[in-house]
Amino acid sequence: MMVTVAHVQLSSCCGCLISLSDTYEKLIDILGSIDLVYCQTLADAREIPNADVILVEGAVCLDDHHTMEIVKEVREKGKILVALGACSAVGGITRFCKGGQMPKPVQSSFSALTEVVKCDLAIPGCPPSPELIVNVITAVLNGNMEYLRPFAKYAESKRGACGCDLIINVINKSLCMGCGVCAASCPTRAIKMIEGRPLVSSELCIKCGVCSFQCPRIELPKGVCQLDGE
Amino acid sequence: MDPFGKYNSIISARATDKRILKKSQDGGIVSATFIYGLENNILDGVIVADRGEKFKPVPKVATTPEEVIEAAGTKYTVCPNISLLKSAVREYGCDKIGVVGTPCQIISTKKAIKYPVGLRHVTDKIALTIGIFCMENFPYNGMKTVVEELCGARLEDVVKTDIGKGKFWVYTKWGETKSVKLKETHPYEQIACHVCTDYTAELADISTGSVGSPDGWSSVFLRTKKGEEIIKKMIDGGYLETKPIDEGKFGLGILKKLALTKKEKNIKEIEHRKELGLPVPIIE
Amino acid sequence: MAKTINITPTTRHEGHGKLILEVEDNDVVNKAYYINTTPVRGFETMLVGRPAEFAPIAVMRICGICQTTHGIASCAAIEDAIGCEIPKDGRLLRELVGLGNRMHSHPLHHLLTADDFIKPEEKELRVDVIKLIQRMRKVGQLIVDVVGGEGIHPPNIVIGGMRTNISERAKAKLYYALKRYEKDAYLMYEAYTELIERYLEEIGIPDLGAHKYPYIASHTTFGDKEDIKWDSVVEIPPQRYYKDKKIAESTSVMIPLYGGVPVEGGPRARMAKFGNFRIGGSAMDINIARAKENLGAVYRAMEILDELDINGKTKVTPEYKDGSGIGVHEAPRATNVHFAEVGKDGKIKSYKIIAASTWNFPIVEKAIEGYPHQHAEVIMRAYDI
Repeated sequence: MMVTVAHVQLSSCCGCLISLSDTYEKLIDILGSIDLVYCQTLADAREIPNADVILVEGAVCLDDHHTMEIVKEVREKGKILVALGACSAVGGITRFCKGGQMPKPVQSSFSALTEVVKCDLAIPGCPPSPELIVNVITAVLNGNMEYLRPFAKYAESKRGACGCDLIINVINKSLCMGCGVCAASCPTRAIKMIEGRPLVSSELCIKCGVCSFQCPRIELPKGVCQLDGE
Repeated sequence: MDPFGKYNSIISARATDKRILKKSQDGGIVSATFIYGLENNILDGVIVADRGEKFKPVPKVATTPEEVIEAAGTKYTVCPNISLLKSAVREYGCDKIGVVGTPCQIISTKKAIKYPVGLRHVTDKIALTIGIFCMENFPYNGMKTVVEELCGARLEDVVKTDIGKGKFWVYTKWGETKSVKLKETHPYEQIACHVCTDYTAELADISTGSVGSPDGWSSVFLRTKKGEEIIKKMIDGGYLETKPIDEGKFGLGILKKLALTKKEKNIKEIEHRKELGLPVPIIE
Repeated sequence: MAKTINITPTTRHEGHGKLILEVEDNDVVNKAYYINTTPVRGFETMLVGRPAEFAPIAVMRICGICQTTHGIASCAAIEDAIGCEIPKDGRLLRELVGLGNRMHSHPLHHLLTADDFIKPEEKELRVDVIKLIQRMRKVGQLIVDVVGGEGIHPPNIVIGGMRTNISERAKAKLYYALKRYEKDAYLMYEAYTELIERYLEEIGIPDLGAHKYPYIASHTTFGDKEDIKWDSVVEIPPQRYYKDKKIAESTSVMIPLYGGVPVEGGPRARMAKFGNFRIGGSAMDINIARAKENLGAVYRAMEILDELDINGKTKVTPEYKDGSGIGVHEAPRATNVHFAEVGKDGKIKSYKIIAASTWNFPIVEKAIEGYPHQHAEVIMRAYDI
């Protein structure tokens, strides 16, 4: 039996799904290896069914009754609930939402899915790369919990994210050695390396969580420390 | 304790190209390998630490042998090479990237490859990683203090720095050589280096450094198939000359000693930090 | 007896929507409502008081498919507000990144609509078409990756131009990718046109989804603020547009009007205004126009590469002053319009967006009316909404 997967979009730009589709020629194989039972953007199913894995992208609009119903539904119907991408995992750009806009001025409160219901995995990034999404799906299919552990921890910690995490958790803690991977990974180019340390522009940071996830001084998963490919 | 991590073989080697040897550190392995890679379509761009003003290194994507040679030579200060990983793929349009870095930068690259969350279509284009042996690094002004205050040389005049025989060496463009005992440089080290237990860049395709080989030669660990292949081609083509590594006290012996020293010292530091309740890079 | 049919949620398009159709006994839709039910994240209010540089970064995240167009329109609006001229090569790269986005977005739409026109038993054809689409998208996204810095939400589109030029190697890479795209775009155009003609023939409604409303378009490949009469543009709340209170309070989009009426934007509008594309035909014509636009995009992209000086300056440092401006970009889906008011402190004073698709929301309703309800979603999808 193939693993059933559903993709549900809450308040988001759909970029996480586009990222998955940017696997280009491999997309057909990926979709062939799973049973995509629900994905409103790509397929015609109109009801979210029970599924082994439910990928949810987007933040939760607490001021929208329909959204709150869906949130309950995905938790009940998904064996593994994945907060896919910054908005769902850590808030991302929706941290800046504050409402007052026509024609729905009362929709003002958006929270990460991880803050609203218990998620099993949370993947930061705006959007997470196609390769990473495929890695996660593959790890879920293979039950590779070791690979998934950092994402499980993100889901559990319900942490928000910000470029400031680099300051607090790395620079201030005497852990930054100035490799620059945070700057390379930042999707908005908010990070410059000055005097061997990241300088985060608060004007450009969208709180996607990628920089601190990528930092090897915050977390170095065991699988990274093995030489493979020989 | 395993001092070197996994590797298939270790040799002493040096570049045969005099242009490279003239500008490079020790055996010029990094420059020679990158130039060979660029000239033979194994690589189409390499991330190196270029010389900026006053010996301040700046990361650069080099796409020609000339650019590689310009950047040759070790800089004993932080240079965020990995910050250019994405640029190399994007505006430079490279498909086969070579990365040189300290052990921590190689670890960082490996994590990026395994978990490329913010590195869309990037990590599959890393074709070769070369790690350089590293006991610790200096912040720029730490290095400056060592060069100017401890060695008495002006940074503007420095053409080369080196660590060897227990000393930090400075060579000026006026032909002078100055040095200071390594022990005296410790207060200027980057403290974040003290949680690192990797001396020989254990996760790189190739790791290299002067320790363990005679002057003008480098010790080279061949760790992966990729690393072995390119070095073998270089040897066969006459781009590198090699000899077996000295397995005695001044060869592998000293290399092992230094690698273990770093591990033991920094494991203690990590334990100490844990006792204080400070975070350390979590390895589970 | 007239009845009401609800299609909820509508599928194979971005965002959340539903169709409410009042249908006659003969299945023909008498009145259609296309309701956008996506919660309003409020990008306009989000920006007020924030530094102008944040605006393009933020608004790109309105849509993960056509992020680029929001980045471009946002920068253009702010540059217009402060009287900032961007360098020639920056302008070229900006147009190129926009075209790269179009060259991925249009084929993505072919993917979403493929199942409307390919029959379930035509499995091989479906796989071939998907492969072709993905090949094309790969080229479009490569352009956005290289020129824009990220295929999704390209951060190199900055106020004052483009963050960086590209290398000779990158330029050559794009050139060869475009050569492949050119071939594939022809294949796609032929295959897609054939499928649509077959579909219309089989359902026997050659003018499916036709409407009598005018078009809006400012440019073929980029965007031109001067081509629009701004006095004629208004955006009204749904409470004023819809008589039905329930409908008015449920939708998440404002209603833009041009000259007091809804207007259609997008591929057909552009090709009709600046070319000789048929006007007033079936909504399926938009699908054909879209496939055709891929060709125009690839030719213009190649021309841009020829014109581009890779050593040229791409960006100027913006100097802020009080002012307001308009930024226009022809998004894949329609004319994307951003209005920005900026202060001399470099902060946003007010911000307004007519996102490309919003032009077509009222048009979709008009296009569905008068045709059998079974085809409502197919008509809606033609607008790639």
